[in-house]
Amino acid sequence: MNTRLNDPFVIGGHTLQSRFFLGTGRFPSPAVLQQALEASGTQVITFAVRRINLDDLADDNVLQHVANRGFVYLPNTSGASNADEAVRIARLARSAGLGNWIKVEISAHHRTLLPDPIETLRATERLVKEQFIVLPYTSDDPVLCHRLEEAGAAAVMPGGAPIGTGLGILNPYNLGLIVEEARVPIIVDAGIGSAQDVVQAMELGADGILANTPIAKAQDPVFMALAMKLAVEAGRLSRRAGRIPKKRYASASSELKGRLFEFAGTEGEG
Amino acid sequence: MRRKLDFKLYVITGESYHSSRDMLEVMEAALRGGADIVQLRDKKISKRELLEKARSLRDLTSRYGVPLIINDHPDVALAVNADGVHLGQDDLPLSVARSVLGPHRLIGISTHTIEQARVAERAGADYIGVGPVYPTGTKPGRQAVTTSYVSQAAAEIQIPFVAIGGITTDNAEEVLKAGARRLCAVSAIVGSNDPEGVCRNLLEQITGWKSGSSAEIPAEEREMVVTVNGRQERTKATTMLELAEHYKLADKHIVAELDGDIVPRQSWRETPLRIGASVEFVHFVGGG
Repeated sequence: MNTRLNDPFVIGGHTLQSRFFLGTGRFPSPAVLQQALEASGTQVITFAVRRINLDDLADDNVLQHVANRGFVYLPNTSGASNADEAVRIARLARSAGLGNWIKVEISAHHRTLLPDPIETLRATERLVKEQFIVLPYTSDDPVLCHRLEEAGAAAVMPGGAPIGTGLGILNPYNLGLIVEEARVPIIVDAGIGSAQDVVQAMELGADGILANTPIAKAQDPVFMALAMKLAVEAGRLSRRAGRIPKKRYASASSELKGRLFEFAGTEGEG
Repeated sequence: MRRKLDFKLYVITGESYHSSRDMLEVMEAALRGGADIVQLRDKKISKRELLEKARSLRDLTSRYGVPLIINDHPDVALAVNADGVHLGQDDLPLSVARSVLGPHRLIGISTHTIEQARVAERAGADYIGVGPVYPTGTKPGRQAVTTSYVSQAAAEIQIPFVAIGGITTDNAEEVLKAGARRLCAVSAIVGSNDPEGVCRNLLEQITGWKSGSSAEIPAEEREMVVTVNGRQERTKATTMLELAEHYKLADKHIVAELDGDIVPRQSWRETPLRIGASVEFVHFVGGG
């Protein structure tokens, strides 16, 4: 289909064909992760920086399963609770030699894992100065998203709902405002439950989707990866196609002229 | 922020050792000899008498620019504007003393085991006493901890620690060899006819030791305690590379951090470890 060809998606100088970013956590096995990565068609994958377990040197390094596949690596700063910690994790990630993209993720609350907006902004400012390509995960506040853009974020990633809840796009109005104002890509990160949420986000004007739990924890992660890939494309095309305005009353899809019978129901006025 | 505490020779009052001479006279001799921190300790007199002694000792130590520590009594320390207090294991808990004294005064804690030392360090002590190294008349009946505890403290404790208990000019070298860099003496100093001379002697041994100490233990036998991934580990490794090799990580795709700074792989060989260093070895795991 040629429709996709003329729809460039550029972040930090990279032109991406896929608007679907995949997280690599919580998959039932490395094999399932592999298949899901393939089915999703993703080009950008996320992962976390963690201490090595000194007692168990079984190689649980995620890189061994994904190396040499041409992915753009988007390490996150999960586990940081302030800007200092996030910057420290970002530097560690960069020094692994896998590029300079970083997803700022600074959780402020143990139960909601909602991002700390102030620390997220601080970390973004600092990491931009340090030449990172910064994609902050943030709450879906239009003003905050704008501030992150001003701070130099390469893309802004508002959550639809708290991480791992699958509650979907809780505030479509906000997301609409965010994409309306943005001059950098908006990627909905967190809260997605199934393909319908993906379509909704894309139709609202999101430029991309980042998902992990709804795929890794689906009954069939590989099917869900494919479903969401298609949903991203469907939602994107639908957005570009331009939907019809919603109307209160029906309007017949078949021409009225030349019908065989007079309408038997109640006529409206006029 | 509290000011950074450093000292070499810690002297504690002990009037029972010099009943014929005035306490201030003896302590001034110690100060002339180079004592660089002074503690007032007298568990036998009334608080009012203690307060008077604290006042006069405050005047004296101020003239020499030396910190004054009051044993056991935060209220007396505050009343005379002393620099801090020293507490035993059965005295006021550190947190209580801290809330009384505020953030700026010094709090020292007597410890007799490495566990007590760790607790004190974590709780925010400014320094600890490590002892009694030898049996002492100042603390009769207390089991001596020997120099092995001094070595443990030297390997592990980051805040200043001072070896105390039965230390004299004769055995100071042994204590320094075990890893102490600060000494405290009571009877050896205030019970001497020449407190100034004893202080000078001890101080010379302390400062002299620093320059010539490293050759004492062969490198291959030296062990130190470092923190690796949040865990205290004993190691014979002397560089980052040796430490990574010890955990079989040298050929893994990992990143190393030493005291908060990333150490690029090509520098591991030349990057020395020091006692108390904090190392992180990290890698990538699945995440969203």
